[in-house]
Amino acid sequence: MEKLKDALDFSDFSKTERICFIIFTIFLLVFPWLGVGSFVKTVMIQFMLFSLFGMGWNTIGGYGGQVELGKAQYVGIGAYTVALMMVWWKVPFWISMPIGILIALGYSFIIGYPLFRLKGHYFAIATICTSLVLKDIFDNWNLVGAAKGIELPIHEHPDFLYMQFKSDTYYYYFIMGLFYIAIFYMNWFRKSKLGYQLRMIKDDEDAAESLGIDIRWCKIKAYSIASAFVAVGGGFMAVYNLYIDPASVMELSLSIKIALMAMLGGAASLWGPIIGAAFLVPLDRFLGSWLGGHKGLTGIDFMIYAMLIMIVSAYQPKGIWGIIEQFRKRGR
Amino acid sequence: MAFLEVKNIVKDFGGLVANNNVSFEIEKGEIVGLIGPNGAGKTTLFNCIVGYYRPSSGKILFKGKDITGFKPFQTSREGIGRTFQIMKVTTGLTVLENVMVGAFSRTDKREVAEKEAMGIMEFLGLIDIKEYHINELPIARQRKVGLARALATKPELLMLDEVASGLNHTETDEMVGLLKMLNKEKDMTIFLIEHIMEMVMSVSKRVIVLDSGVKIAEGLPNEIVKNPDVIKAYLGEKYAKSH
Repeated sequence: MEKLKDALDFSDFSKTERICFIIFTIFLLVFPWLGVGSFVKTVMIQFMLFSLFGMGWNTIGGYGGQVELGKAQYVGIGAYTVALMMVWWKVPFWISMPIGILIALGYSFIIGYPLFRLKGHYFAIATICTSLVLKDIFDNWNLVGAAKGIELPIHEHPDFLYMQFKSDTYYYYFIMGLFYIAIFYMNWFRKSKLGYQLRMIKDDEDAAESLGIDIRWCKIKAYSIASAFVAVGGGFMAVYNLYIDPASVMELSLSIKIALMAMLGGAASLWGPIIGAAFLVPLDRFLGSWLGGHKGLTGIDFMIYAMLIMIVSAYQPKGIWGIIEQFRKRGR
Repeated sequence: MAFLEVKNIVKDFGGLVANNNVSFEIEKGEIVGLIGPNGAGKTTLFNCIVGYYRPSSGKILFKGKDITGFKPFQTSREGIGRTFQIMKVTTGLTVLENVMVGAFSRTDKREVAEKEAMGIMEFLGLIDIKEYHINELPIARQRKVGLARALATKPELLMLDEVASGLNHTETDEMVGLLKMLNKEKDMTIFLIEHIMEMVMSVSKRVIVLDSGVKIAEGLPNEIVKNPDVIKAYLGEKYAKSH
């Protein structure tokens, strides 16, 4: 009960923030009825999906301060669990998704245990490696469709059990539900014991240890929470796109985008990943469709991301949210 | 059975012997000072007890329990609190949150942790800076935050690493008063490393002297200052004459 109260309690935010949050919520609720085109709706769905990813990353990467660049492997685990169970045994989404989360949790514990012997850059490199290895395995594993990927069977009629709808609006509200669960969860998380301990670990590991914090265990817990979040998003991607392959759900660039969105918006803040996704998802879509039309320009979007990473880490490590906070402090 | 027993601790870093066969005991309720010249192995000894280093050989017993080779978070849970000589200047957590993290080691509830943290900060006079970050504070205040943080874990033995270095006279006196009060009112056993002789002498009931990793003397403060070995190794003739 108390946890629920904490999750729904936004009273420590400023009044402006709370009003913005309410307006934002109303906007999201009515958005599909504003007569926008399907492309814009897709961008919106992507935005909420990536916010979900970013918020998950924020537990270990933001609050815990561990540069984690391997989240795509958990997107893949979530997506493949849902897709394969549906193709092989016709398991409904609502059963396969929790199983996907459990697999992601178990896998992240196994991976996290040795991984968190490493610190700093070495940890970051190791997360990239584990993700790449998993992608390579899926690329060559014929049983799961190898590099061809798998297509989900398309149902003739809309089916809630299998999350198959004709209109994007249903998916929109479904991801919006997940998005809000994530916000409430993170609102609880930042006030929880684990949240405080992680921030202490980020500040000063030696001091954290002297205060009775089992650093490695804390990091593993946060890493697993992040993985579960991301796996949910992966499961959604499977039923939404109806087709997955290692290149779309396990690519390194996906891991980097997830981390970049949270970092650009502001790591270790509740709104950061959302702000970051609001910037980068439309930019990504715009660049993707614009540069795709010009021969020889593909790849420039990644140069732009790389530049963004450098600018953010050099000038404002706390991201866009850090800039906003700075202005507010000055105004006071 | 003593409160803290250190038996024949040896710590060598591949040839460099930082602690050689150091043994001593601390009784409950004592304030014990550890002194010695630079490089005598004081901090190494501290780190061996708290668990940052694993002693090469020897044993550490806390309340009769063998804690040799325990990790720092485990010794903390056993009831040993410590402060750091150099406090990392951080911008993440506020002072209150820092102390709360200490309190979280004994509770899972935020309200309880916050209440306890506030109690300790009131005791140390830190309430007015609770929303500040450590990087915004002068060094004396930073030290007190470190102390408050350690106290919030409800230790039975408090180990202080150069808690007075960098403080001026008034601040040092204040710290001495604080430690005495902690010892008397909260029945805290205190073990401190210190360079400032005045501080060690005025606060400690017993002093242990290390030199080149070896314990060369142990006794009451006024005996120690007259001990010829200690004078030769650390205090110098001048100090002996002026006292």
